[in-house]
Amino acid sequence: MTYELLVPIFIMSSALIAIGLYAVMSKKNILKIILAADIVETGVNILIVAMGYLPGGTAPIENGNYPLYVDPVPQALVLTAIVIGVSVTALALAVAMGYYRKTGTIELDKEGVMKW
Amino acid sequence: MVSLPPVLLIAFPLFFAFLAPLINMVSKKAVKYYTMAVLLLNTAISLIIFLNVLEHGVIYEELSGFYPPVGILLSVGYLGAILALLINALAPIVYLSYFGDAENSVKFSMIYMLVTASSTGIVITGDLFNMFVFFEITAVGSYGLVASMRTKKAYEGAFKYIVLGTIGSSFILLGIATIYGYLKTLNFYDIAARINTMPESARLMSFIFLIIGIGVEAELFPLNGWVPDAYEGASNRVAAFFSLGPSKAGIYAIARLLFTLVPLVKGFNLAMLLGLLTLVIGELAALRQKDPKRMLAYSSIGQMGLILVAFSMHSALAFTAAIFLMVSHALAKSLLFLGTRGYKEGVLRNPWVAGPIFIGVLSIIGMPPFPGFWGKWYLLVNMAQRGFWAVILLIIFAAIVEGVYYARFLHRGTEGEESKVLTRSEIAAITILALILVLVGMFPQYLYTPAVKAAAALMGGGP
Repeated sequence: MTYELLVPIFIMSSALIAIGLYAVMSKKNILKIILAADIVETGVNILIVAMGYLPGGTAPIENGNYPLYVDPVPQALVLTAIVIGVSVTALALAVAMGYYRKTGTIELDKEGVMKW
Repeated sequence: MVSLPPVLLIAFPLFFAFLAPLINMVSKKAVKYYTMAVLLLNTAISLIIFLNVLEHGVIYEELSGFYPPVGILLSVGYLGAILALLINALAPIVYLSYFGDAENSVKFSMIYMLVTASSTGIVITGDLFNMFVFFEITAVGSYGLVASMRTKKAYEGAFKYIVLGTIGSSFILLGIATIYGYLKTLNFYDIAARINTMPESARLMSFIFLIIGIGVEAELFPLNGWVPDAYEGASNRVAAFFSLGPSKAGIYAIARLLFTLVPLVKGFNLAMLLGLLTLVIGELAALRQKDPKRMLAYSSIGQMGLILVAFSMHSALAFTAAIFLMVSHALAKSLLFLGTRGYKEGVLRNPWVAGPIFIGVLSIIGMPPFPGFWGKWYLLVNMAQRGFWAVILLIIFAAIVEGVYYARFLHRGTEGEESKVLTRSEIAAITILALILVLVGMFPQYLYTPAVKAAAALMGGGP
């Protein structure tokens, strides 16, 4: 039952991941690449939160009145992942600023990040 | 003998790293000595833990009073103990090379301690999500270390590394989510015990997600586009540190994934394919490079590929070989990166520089009696016994390519007038690394015994 409810969410998160990956590989603008990496992260986070979902479940705070609650572990994982994502994005923007100061542009030369 | 909790290996440097700015306020000169003291303290702790593991077997430690599978578990097995000792013993030696510099940066010292702690964390943790968090700390610290040179190349390398690292960590999370969705656990040994209850397709999917994610840090093809740029942009000392810390932790995580978490026949085949591709493409790319740092970076990629091939043989002897290759790579590559700062003609006219660099090169290309030789020897013996002749030919081909570009590299250094580039403390650091290489090569039995135990433990699906 839960599986059928989650199908649209799985589709949405896969779409976000795919869009993000495509943009990371095809764009050369540093800010667009940072945004794309964030979109991938968001897609993954949505997927993980959905994994712990229970129909009719409440927030996982124990007070005895609600016996049915959603799995707290995925939420804790996503919370950690969001914090890590924010700090990595901040660092990436700092590096982008440094790159801009040295080169006067925010376009990567050559073929973007996937160049071997 | 005293026994210490393994969590100290992570807690001490984390705690002291954030005290470093206070020390800096009191005295700017003291930061170097302070960092060195912290790193040496960690070396001592990791040595004690290594000896404890050798004597009594695996050490488990539950953190913060919650028992597994709910709480976070640290588990130091033989492989973890070997790598923790390797990382923590070499970190102060590479740090020694900074002592000749006039200026020093407190930020650099802080990040150095943090990355040492988190790389150690990866090899001693027993929890999948905990490993992910340590991966992220290692990665964020490494991004900072690459960018710290503040040149165009440094920013470019750091940016590539950040983007690929972020994508990699998203894939690790996807893999974790797949496993958690089926098994509702994150503990390594709980997963290992019940992984076979997952459908085959889900196991394969989580394996692929995890190997993509970890492969970024372990420098595997095709996710290692950041490696040459980041190594080129980073200072030589940072590149030396990468080859002993983060890359070793990454390849450890690959071993953990292959043997403990998701053992699959298809997984081993895929790893063999990836390993051979990484090896051959890395070595061929290294042949084309003129800049010594880029050449060493591609050579590192090739070495990581060889280690992955050794893992994917799925036998105790090949795994022992992989441990020798890891030790050889960590020692020799950090030596070569340190020794080639400002590399130009005439550098090798100085015997104090030439000696260690020759030893490092000999170990990398697998000449006796250095650890690299023992690693390649055990691996080829195992392959010959099992009739993997095509793979043997590829490895020999890669070794010949390796020999050619290293010979060219050495030749360039010996031509022309003598030129002095390295400081005394850098020469001291590479001499110590070369001495360790010679000692491990002359007395391989002291590494062989724990390595065989580590191989047996991993082959049995344990820590």
